[in-house]
Amino acid sequence: MNPGSTTRLDRWFEGLSRTAARRTSRRSFLARCGLWLFASSALPLLPVARPIDAAEPPGKRKPAAKFASEFANHAQTHDPTRCNYWRYCASDGYMCACCGGGPNTCPPGTVPAPTSWVGTCINPEDGKTYLIAYRDCCGQDSCGRCPCLGQEGDMPSYRPQVNSDIVWCFGASSMVYHCSSAGLVGLAE
Amino acid sequence: MSARWRARRAGSLLACCALSLPGYAPAQSALAVSNVPDVITRRSGLRVAPMSRAAQIYAGNCQGCHGDLGSSAREIPPLAGRVGYFARLPAGRRYLVQVPNVALNASSDEDIAAVLNWVLMTYSRAQLPADFTPYTAAEVSQLRRARIDVVAERARVVRELVSARQIPSAEALALPQIALY
Repeated sequence: MNPGSTTRLDRWFEGLSRTAARRTSRRSFLARCGLWLFASSALPLLPVARPIDAAEPPGKRKPAAKFASEFANHAQTHDPTRCNYWRYCASDGYMCACCGGGPNTCPPGTVPAPTSWVGTCINPEDGKTYLIAYRDCCGQDSCGRCPCLGQEGDMPSYRPQVNSDIVWCFGASSMVYHCSSAGLVGLAE
Repeated sequence: MSARWRARRAGSLLACCALSLPGYAPAQSALAVSNVPDVITRRSGLRVAPMSRAAQIYAGNCQGCHGDLGSSAREIPPLAGRVGYFARLPAGRRYLVQVPNVALNASSDEDIAAVLNWVLMTYSRAQLPADFTPYTAAEVSQLRRARIDVVAERARVVRELVSARQIPSAEALALPQIALY
């Protein structure tokens, strides 16, 4: 190809760069860059209704780090299909709410294990501590949806009573793990 | 600046806006929200009853296996209607503290005493001896230091209860064969 000849692509790029050079100065580039940086950092400050804040009445928003529990500071109380649902603070596995069940019900075709392990989670809405029973639903292959790893109070597996890696299907008709539910046991005083 | 440029910039600003809202899910269906137990509780105004301290210790340390009614899977020794028998003899009273999951639990002596008394009164009051005296923290502190062979010790206590005619037969405290999974 003759290096002197210009293809359509060359002409298009030339035009583009000449236009850019004509229209933008270094200063305006910097100004725009700054505007973008500022806008993207300031946008989350706009009063847009976001699910994580929806539970709190407007004007009563408290600083982020208000609970001793790191999990509770980022938790919400209305969407059990997300890992930051407040009851999942110590749940490790696939969440039944994403598997055809609910946060405290097993999907059809699975059975709740008679055994569970009990943890405590802070409800970010009222700031109180509740006891939550993590009960596995068993009898079908792994659900595979909503893998969540909450590790509050979790201990290594040499403390099996308080370890969340262990499949808690003990006593169920099948030891095949499907998903984990998080039922409310009660309110801690 | 031409209108076309302005429109383009507005478009990219919107794209930026959408990107910078972390975790914002616009398609949050109202049906899904109304099925959440927390939302139902909030709307109905129902309140969860507070639990006593002993009940909390039981829930956090025992209930997972023994169940909220004191019995659950076949593999787990039931407490309901049974555990009180052990308190009828000093050996059984010791055994309830020295069972490894009680003795080695991370709870304090006070909490262990409180939860033992709570379990006995809640799940097995009818089996308790008439002169039952509640466990104290000092008693628990002293008893929980011992390490026992849990299977042998349990069998020994059950034999003793039978020969002292405190239970009708060993059947009253029998454990089922553990099924293979």
